[in-house]
Amino acid sequence: MKNFLRHPVVDTAIKALSRNRLQTVLTMLGIAVGVATVLAMMAVGAGAQRSIEQQVRAAGLNQITIRAGNWRPKVTDSDEAVAHQGDARESLRHPLDRLNDDVLPITFHPEDDPMEKHDHPTARQRLGDLEAGLGSAATMTFDDAEALRQLPGVQYVAGGIHENVRVHLDAKRWFTRMHGTDVMMPSIKRAWAFSSGRFFTAREQERGAQVVVLGQVVADKLFGPGATPVGRDVALWNQQFEVIGVVTSATWVVQPAAGDDQFDAVYMPYTTTQRLLNLSKLNDITVTAESSGDISRLSREITKLLRVRHGIGDNEADDFTLITQATKALTTGGLPPSVARAVASNVAELEKVTLEQLAMTMERASRTMTWLLAAVAAVSLLVGGIGIMNITLLSVTERTREIGLRMAVGARGKDVMRQFLFEAVVISAAGGLAGIVVGMIASIGIARLLQWATVVSPWSVALAFGIATAVGVFFGWYPARRASKLDPIVALRRD
Amino acid sequence: MIGVHDLAKQYHVGDHVVHALKGVSMAIAAAEFVTIVGPSGSGKSTFMHILGCLDRPTTGRYLLNGRDVSTLPPDELARVRNETIGFVFQGFNLLARTSALENVELPLLYTRQGVVKASERRERAMRALEAVGLTDRADHHPNQLSGGQQQRVAIARALVTQPSLLLADEPTGNLDSTTSHEVMEIFARLSSDRGLTVVVITHERDIAAYGTRTVDFKDGLIVSDKANDARVPAQVG
Repeated sequence: MKNFLRHPVVDTAIKALSRNRLQTVLTMLGIAVGVATVLAMMAVGAGAQRSIEQQVRAAGLNQITIRAGNWRPKVTDSDEAVAHQGDARESLRHPLDRLNDDVLPITFHPEDDPMEKHDHPTARQRLGDLEAGLGSAATMTFDDAEALRQLPGVQYVAGGIHENVRVHLDAKRWFTRMHGTDVMMPSIKRAWAFSSGRFFTAREQERGAQVVVLGQVVADKLFGPGATPVGRDVALWNQQFEVIGVVTSATWVVQPAAGDDQFDAVYMPYTTTQRLLNLSKLNDITVTAESSGDISRLSREITKLLRVRHGIGDNEADDFTLITQATKALTTGGLPPSVARAVASNVAELEKVTLEQLAMTMERASRTMTWLLAAVAAVSLLVGGIGIMNITLLSVTERTREIGLRMAVGARGKDVMRQFLFEAVVISAAGGLAGIVVGMIASIGIARLLQWATVVSPWSVALAFGIATAVGVFFGWYPARRASKLDPIVALRRD
Repeated sequence: MIGVHDLAKQYHVGDHVVHALKGVSMAIAAAEFVTIVGPSGSGKSTFMHILGCLDRPTTGRYLLNGRDVSTLPPDELARVRNETIGFVFQGFNLLARTSALENVELPLLYTRQGVVKASERRERAMRALEAVGLTDRADHHPNQLSGGQQQRVAIARALVTQPSLLLADEPTGNLDSTTSHEVMEIFARLSSDRGLTVVVITHERDIAAYGTRTVDFKDGLIVSDKANDARVPAQVG
């Protein structure tokens, strides 16, 4: 470093820049603003990207769902599907906007039944996607789940029973999804957070306890926002259930919304469901692989095992449907890969649309922010660059005689050019370093104040610094070139 | 050492063509001390610039050490200036805020081998300062030196690459008469003791008398070229 500072080009540059100290610092400031903006821009972009990826990971790329029955999604959009999507979009509206519509007075006229106005797709709409045949027949058992648990590479297994239910709290009621599920579910749904209470325990599952975990939406609708339902009782199927927890989304990407499948829902042990509804079958089994790269192999293993267990002959169709994350949403096209992945990772049809919408909304928002910042960055870098050009031209003019002298004692045009280019780059690089510091602080500020996820990667720091240096080279080029083209005789005569 | 044949130079100033040199031929032997005199506009400065490889003639040939340098590209001319020619100017042209030693080192930043390394630069610059008797002023900045001392630093700078030709354009123009004579004595000594070819432009006859030979320019032509019999004896010190 000491040797570097004593290199004549560096030494000359330092002397020259300290001649117009104030101008030099102001010029650096211009570049610093530009670089800070570039860095903040990339931090916002990368933050949005990471949020999507986290959401994808949280939703579980290593997840396989085996549904009872062999329905297939329809390839073309039916009217029902369109209506269904319309409903889902409706569910995206801010809960506050919807509040007025969604206050559910208890009425006795059948036409005012809140069920009819609810966001959930109707049974007709849900069935629109089903093919004839086994449909949603319950062909899977708890023993199937136990058998799957024994497969190598399996991490968690959770059997599930899903019904539409009405949850009653005194006079209030809310129509929602009921998931009878396994104690393992919170480990599978990594995007879950408990706003209060807990999930049910293995012991409660064993004895089929009448305990229920409310989705955030259900808790808000029945108890009001901010209330603590834990310990209170609600009624399903005219049975009392104790509320033991309230579950909400752990990521800001997915906000609990009325009509979604995760948080406008209640959870109880599947054993309780089986006991009360007198069922012995499961609607689906969710399996997670220890490694997401293992999904394909595990899918084949599961298919093979279930076909054997269900006694299906070689020429017969499966009586179950295996769904992995990399399903058709990826191939429908038109979506950025990150969004496609986000979509693909959410298998439930309703949820898929919701997340797709959310991801696109967020993508749009972060893109708008990115463009805005890019425009600011471009303008400030342009202004900073012009500043560099200005100060370098000033320097060339002030030092014309010096340039003439250097040429007279043997400096070639390229030596002179190198000197002035270096000085321009010193300004821009110093401004760049300052900008990186400011940009990092700004990124943290954006994250804190706007609740906007930002990620400052080493790569983006390197890029910001590279841009600063490039600005120096670009805008220093013309003055340096001008200096190198000076006629030494004319330059020496200059006062 | 130097041979110029029918050297001519024309400038275009607006629509006018200025004939600065109209056909100059002369030869300068090694270790000669030539002074060039003439009124302003006589072409002596143009001649000097061509001799110094700062400019190229429009027509004619210039042989320096047997090599035709009249058609070399700019980068090659820069090499020649660095290796074979030392310049001394009327206005000294020292870099401000830079010590005498560093000023002398300047040509060593642009050698064919690139930047000479710091320790060697320092050593060679000190030797050059020694030749002009200024080793004790090595760390002084130009504004701490008298005019004569500044010109001696400039001479040391011209010597540091050990050139064979020293060119001085009105080196005493900014100096009083005492220091003018001191500086001219240094030139005379460098020519006689070190065998340097020295060419000095001046408009003062008593300064021109230091040369072993004086050439008169007028209107772009040599009007007289004669040896100086009554040479001012060089004083030691």
